[in-house]
Amino acid sequence: MFRPMQIEHLHVAYGNACVLNDVNMEIGPKRITCLLGANGAGKSTLIRALVGLTPPRRGSIFFDGEDITRLAPHRVVAKGISCIPEGRRIFSKMSVEENLLMGAYQEKSRGEIKARLDKVYDIFPRLAERRGQLAGTMSGGEQAMVSIGRGLMPAPRLMIIDEPSLGLSPALVKENFRIIRSICETGTAVFLVEQNVRQTLAIASYGYVLSQGRVIAQGTAEELKSDSQVQKAYFG
Amino acid sequence: MELFLQFCINGLMLGMMYALVAVGFTLFFGVLDVIVFSHGDTVMIGAFGGLSMYWWLGAVYPGLSLTWTVLWVFLAAALAVTVVGTLVARFLIMPLRKAPPLNTLLATMMLGTVLREAIRLFFPDGSNPKPFPHLLPEWSWQSGSLTLRFDNALLFLSGAVMIVLVHLLITRTRLGMAIRAVAQDEEAAQLMGVNFTMIVLATFALGSVVAAFAGVMNGLYYNEINFGMGLLLGAIGFSAAVIGGLGNIYGAILGGFIFAFLQTLGAVALPFASAYKDVFAFGSVIALMAVRPTGLIAEPSSQRV
Repeated sequence: MFRPMQIEHLHVAYGNACVLNDVNMEIGPKRITCLLGANGAGKSTLIRALVGLTPPRRGSIFFDGEDITRLAPHRVVAKGISCIPEGRRIFSKMSVEENLLMGAYQEKSRGEIKARLDKVYDIFPRLAERRGQLAGTMSGGEQAMVSIGRGLMPAPRLMIIDEPSLGLSPALVKENFRIIRSICETGTAVFLVEQNVRQTLAIASYGYVLSQGRVIAQGTAEELKSDSQVQKAYFG
Repeated sequence: MELFLQFCINGLMLGMMYALVAVGFTLFFGVLDVIVFSHGDTVMIGAFGGLSMYWWLGAVYPGLSLTWTVLWVFLAAALAVTVVGTLVARFLIMPLRKAPPLNTLLATMMLGTVLREAIRLFFPDGSNPKPFPHLLPEWSWQSGSLTLRFDNALLFLSGAVMIVLVHLLITRTRLGMAIRAVAQDEEAAQLMGVNFTMIVLATFALGSVVAAFAGVMNGLYYNEINFGMGLLLGAIGFSAAVIGGLGNIYGAILGGFIFAFLQTLGAVALPFASAYKDVFAFGSVIALMAVRPTGLIAEPSSQRV
C-alpha cells in the first residue's frame, strides 16, 4: 500500500539554533493530514526539510517506504511530491500558462502536459481566460489559483500545501479549502499546513500540532478539536 | 555627413560586440546575483581559442576552404570558452554562493588576472599582440568617402542572429523557461523540479558561447588580438549591462549600442581629441548612473530576466 510519508526523529537546525526537535509524523494516503501551529513553531522549516531545501541535521524522511532524507529538491519532486510554498511564490514575470508549465517541468510528454493543463483550466476557468496575462499583475486570489494549479501540474502523489489561506478574504479561503478537499478526493495525499484551525480541522482527517519545534499533540480531527492543548492554544 | 555615416557604421559594429559581452554579464547576474568580472577575459580566451584553431588547421589541413575555416574557428572559440566558463561556474562561483557578494566579485577579478597571465605566459609569444587572420571575403561597397565592408556587414548580421537565437532560447524553450524561473525565484524553481546546478551551468555555457562569438568577432574586426583585450571589453560590457538595468537581457543589448554610440559621439564631437572617446563614454555612463541608478530600463530590483 502507498505510504505517502513517514518522518522519524527529525532534527533541523539553522546554525546553532535548533528549530525542530525529534519530530515524528505519518502522512496517510487518500486523506488530508494537517499541521497546526502558531507563527515560529517550525512549520515552514519542517516543509523545507521535507522538500530538500533545508537538509535536516538528524532523522529520516521516507516517501512510500523509500528514504528521501537528503535528496536535492528536484529529486524529491521527481518522486511525486509537489509543494505549494508559503506566500505562493508564483513567477510574477511569467504568464499564467508559463507558470503552470513550470509546474510540469519534469514531465516530458507534450500530450500529458496538455491534458493536465486542460484539467487545471477546468478547475480554474478564470486561469483559462487569463492564460496569457503576466502572473504578477493578477489579484491575490487569482495568484493563489495559479499557485494551486501549478502545484497540480506535476500530477503529484503527495501535495504539501503551506498556508494557502494567508492573505485571502474569507470567501476565497473557503473556496480554496473546497478545492483542496477535491484534490484529496481524486486520490492525492495532502499535507496541509495552516494557522486557520477551524476550517482546517473541518476538512482534515488527522492532524499534528507543532509548538516550539516539537509535536505537542496529534490525533484525528475530532480528537484535536476537543484536545485541551489545542483548545488552550487556539479556541481560548 | 559621410564621415558621420561612417562613424555610425563603425559604431554599430562596436555596439554589437559590446551587446554580446553585456548579455553574459546580465545573464549571470540574473540567475546567481553575481558580477562575473572575468567575463571580459573569457572573451579574450575565445579569440585565442579561435586563433589556435586557425593555426592548427593551417598546419594540418592547409587547403581547407575559407567557409569551413571560419566555422571551425568559431566552434573552437565557443568550445574553449564554454569549458572555461562552466568550470569557473562549477568550481569558483557555485562554492562561493553563500559568501558575501564582494568576495565573489574579488574572486572573479582575480580570476580575470589569472586568465590574462595564463595567456601571456603560456601562449607562444603571448605577451605580444597577435595578428588575427582575415577570414572573410574583403569586398566592399564604396560611395564617396563612405565604405561599407562586406565582412563587417556579415559580422554584424551574424551577431544579430546570435542575439535572436539567445532571445528564442530564453523565451521559447524549456531550458530558457527554467533559466527565467531560477532568475525570478531560485527556490520556487527548485520546487518545480528544476535542477539548480544544471541551470546555472547551462546559463554559464550560454553566456560563454555568446562571449566566444564576441571574441572572434573582435579579432576579425581589428585583425589583432592581445592578452589584455578582455580588460576594456569587460569594463565596457559590464557598463552596458548596468546602463540597461542589470538582469535585463534586452537592456544589456541596448546598453551595448548606447555605449558604442557614446564612444562614436565622443570621437565625432571631439575630433581634436578622439583619443578621449573612452573617457567621454565612461564619463557619460557615470553621469547616467547618477540620474538613473537602476539603469535605463528600470524595474523593481527583485524582478529579473
